[in-house]
Amino acid sequence: MIHVEQLTKTYADLRRGQIVALDGLSFDAWEGQIYGLLGPNGAGKTTALRILSTLLKPTSGSATVNGFDVVRQSSDIRRQIGFVSANTAVYDRMTAWEMVEYFGRLNGIERDELRDRMERLFERLQMNEIRDLLGAKMSTGMKQKVSIARALVHDPPVLIFDEATSGLDVLVARALLGIVAQLREQGKCILFSTHIMREAERLCDRVAIMFHGHILAEGTLGELRDEHDEDDLEELFFQLISKHEIEHRVAGEERLEV
Amino acid sequence: MNWRNVKLILAREVRDQLRDRRTLFMIAVLPMLLYPLLGMSFMQVSQFFQAHPTRVLVVGGEELAARDESPQLFDTEGANFDPALFASEDDPSLVKLTFADAADLLPDQDVAGSPSAKELADAARTRMRDKKFDAVIYFPAGFAGELTAFRDELKNRVANPPEDRPRQGESSQDERAEGGEKSPDAEEKKAGIPNPVIYYNTAREASQIARSRIEGVIYRWTTKVGEQNLIDSDVPKSAARPFSLQSNDVAEAGRREAATWAKILPFVLMIWALTGAFYPAVDLCAGEKERGTLETLLCSPAQRSEIVVGKLLTVMAFSMATAVLNLASMGLTGAIVLSSLPQLGEMMHLGMPPAEAVFWLAVALPPVSALFGALAVALAAFARSTKEGQYYLMPLILVTMPLMILPMQPSMELTLGTSLIPVTGLMLLLRELLTSNYAVAATFAAPVVGVTLTGCFFAIRWAIDQFNSESVLFRESERLDLGLWLRHLRADRHATPTAAMAIACGVLILMIRFFTGLAISLPETTNGLIVLQAVTLIAFVAAPALIMTSVLTRSPRRTLLLNFPAWQAIPAVILLAISIHPLATVLQQLLAWLYPLDTVKLKFVVDRYGEIPFVWMVLVLAILPAVCEEFAYRGFVLSGLREMGHPWRAIILSSAFFGITHALIVQQSIAAGILGVLLGYTAVRSGSLLCPILFHAIHNSLLFALMKFGEQWSQSDGLASWLLVQTGDDSFAYRLPVVVAAALTSVAAILWFRKSTRQVASGAAEPRVEVANERSAAVVAERERIAT
Repeated sequence: MIHVEQLTKTYADLRRGQIVALDGLSFDAWEGQIYGLLGPNGAGKTTALRILSTLLKPTSGSATVNGFDVVRQSSDIRRQIGFVSANTAVYDRMTAWEMVEYFGRLNGIERDELRDRMERLFERLQMNEIRDLLGAKMSTGMKQKVSIARALVHDPPVLIFDEATSGLDVLVARALLGIVAQLREQGKCILFSTHIMREAERLCDRVAIMFHGHILAEGTLGELRDEHDEDDLEELFFQLISKHEIEHRVAGEERLEV
Repeated sequence: MNWRNVKLILAREVRDQLRDRRTLFMIAVLPMLLYPLLGMSFMQVSQFFQAHPTRVLVVGGEELAARDESPQLFDTEGANFDPALFASEDDPSLVKLTFADAADLLPDQDVAGSPSAKELADAARTRMRDKKFDAVIYFPAGFAGELTAFRDELKNRVANPPEDRPRQGESSQDERAEGGEKSPDAEEKKAGIPNPVIYYNTAREASQIARSRIEGVIYRWTTKVGEQNLIDSDVPKSAARPFSLQSNDVAEAGRREAATWAKILPFVLMIWALTGAFYPAVDLCAGEKERGTLETLLCSPAQRSEIVVGKLLTVMAFSMATAVLNLASMGLTGAIVLSSLPQLGEMMHLGMPPAEAVFWLAVALPPVSALFGALAVALAAFARSTKEGQYYLMPLILVTMPLMILPMQPSMELTLGTSLIPVTGLMLLLRELLTSNYAVAATFAAPVVGVTLTGCFFAIRWAIDQFNSESVLFRESERLDLGLWLRHLRADRHATPTAAMAIACGVLILMIRFFTGLAISLPETTNGLIVLQAVTLIAFVAAPALIMTSVLTRSPRRTLLLNFPAWQAIPAVILLAISIHPLATVLQQLLAWLYPLDTVKLKFVVDRYGEIPFVWMVLVLAILPAVCEEFAYRGFVLSGLREMGHPWRAIILSSAFFGITHALIVQQSIAAGILGVLLGYTAVRSGSLLCPILFHAIHNSLLFALMKFGEQWSQSDGLASWLLVQTGDDSFAYRLPVVVAAALTSVAAILWFRKSTRQVASGAAEPRVEVANERSAAVVAERERIAT
């Protein structure tokens, strides 16, 4: 479903010079599976997901989604995915219905079919009471629901959630996790990035712990626990990161000495 | 491009903008309120001026009022000016006079003594200060008496004509010299009647109106007094004005109005098309970025070009709507104001605009909106926030405004030259169309349309490029830290400069040359001229480029193309430089015909430089510029601009810089720009700066040789006279067959050059690969360091 191989992304930054956001990232995710990308802020999760949703182009390496190449077939890829992130906002001056309809039409769904599909979707996500509410008047939770409806309207086989629960209250976040779990049951392939370990523990079939643009550890939760001999995912995460952090700092100091 | 998506995006963006109160206010409400408000206040102000009573203090007027000789200045009651002296549109009852004598005005002054001008002015200012009076008119003591005395004398002279008065034509110079006492009346008149004075204050509107009213009254009275004096002297009244000039406007009905409108309407159209494009563009691009919805849209299946075109069409629609509503509201208000103040219309040559004007404006509006819309979208896409976007309006206006003001200059006419200037050409074309000069308009319609569409094309391309650039779409706010930035420039420098550095270098040289050009005047001596030329080139052209190369790049060799070309490229480029010369002179003549030269300035420059001995000419006007300018423009600037990826775009941009610095004579900068493209080509193709240096040096040498020896050669019997023909005082041209042969030779030379540099050119892609390698090498090195 998703195949990522040696993905690298660098860009120039005034403050820090040449930034390596992704450094040879590789992983695979399959249908009916929730693949979790775990990492602290700045680990490269958003960059990786932006490349997969064709918003950014990789510096080197390759990635395919459902068989389509992210660089050469970007337009096809965008039909295959539903992308929800903290950065994909809702239009202020559009109602929930108009917003979802607009993206449905951009995905090339015919008007009649779209109406049926949207009726079902609004029913399922319990969005009928905010149907004619303008985006500007919605609460954060309502906006997130509209974003999910927007990402699901064309029934994509792949869904990408980038820190989708950030800024949501407990109830809304819980509802969202429920929806994600439902989507897995429907056989979707789901990429789910987060820095909250509880979410990953509850949801993910496989997780990859990312730091400084590459994967420190990858596998099912059980595999990770066995491998690192640590039951608590948060503890495991913390140990991995701090160990790597020390290595990174030592390398940095050596560089300074040279 | 999927037009269904474009339509969807367009429909959504239009609806979005219509739901935005600010946009609606700017586009619909503002124009509908603005012009009626302006019109109303204008009418009120003019009515205020018409109805405002004028209070005048008349000092020393009693004597005049008591005088019972016609024509009278005051009416029978002596309370106001004679109503017959007012202009037809002025209401006499609006003038209120208050009489005072000099003692009232200057209480400290002895009545008998005559006050000084300063004392009077101070006293008048004091009386006007509390706004009781709008003006003070002062008749000096004895004014009325002198007036009567003068007339009595005239009457007296008619009764007893003086016998010794010399008849006309008889008086010789000797007579006049000795006969000082023979014409006493002339001197008497000079000292005779003292002048009345009016005191007013330009800082107050009411005072200015008072002045114009009183001046009108006094002028008419003076004329009548003069006429009466003539009658009393037994001379017919018409002697003073035996005839008057009759003016007759032969402009056809409507044409005069059209001429005025033809200047105003295109300007209003442009201004509002620009404003109407800018605000929606900022909201649609920078605003979406700020609100986070742009990323939502970008991960939909719509292509970036579809998004840009959809947004651009929205911006165009609003730009056109703004312009149309403004013009309509302005026209309507104008019509109402003009119908209630008809004399104003006559004064300003305004009436209703002709009907066909509406048609031509409607035709011109879409391309104008497309051009401004695309520029606005590209700028707005670059901005991170609406606030930043709005900052870009000023630079955009600063760039386009001169192009809009230029056609308003009285001397500007639609010619082939002006038709090639973007915006200006279009405005001039519109003016011709609005004044029904269809023949002129048809002649230059093609270049204007061509330039406008080319402008639109590049603006749209730029907008799409902006949307395809990750660094533009995902720009993050950074705190500006000058020290850090400078360190970054030095520490993270690449082998060759960046495009931004190249542009900075070009602008730097331009600015240095501009300010030194202002500060340093041309030296008097020939030696001074040579020294100035050499210093300018070395210090202000070569030095900045070389310093920037050594500080900002890691490989001066690659930046300045310090390689040897393939050996065959050298004879090829020499041949090309020689064979292109006749074509360059043709180009110069063409440019001089398109944009006529300032011949005085040209002659001055040619004469001054012509004094330089030829050897020195070759050194400081050919070889030195070739080396210095090539280091700067084909070296640092071109290498930096090539970082953008398109070699031709880099060549053209570097040539633009090269051209602009030759702005001593504007025409020269166009020729230099075109030549710069060829120079850039030889540099990029051969990968060696030697080629453009050789080309440049030979080209300049031939140019100055022709300037210095052209006359001699064209008159000699040798080969040169067969090649050359004199076309003007100082200009020489190659004969047509020579030009044709040169053109063919040039093509051959270019082909030879292409062939001889094929190997290098295929390797010229190398630097880009190297840059990429360099970066990934840095990544690998970093990784290794981390791993250890």
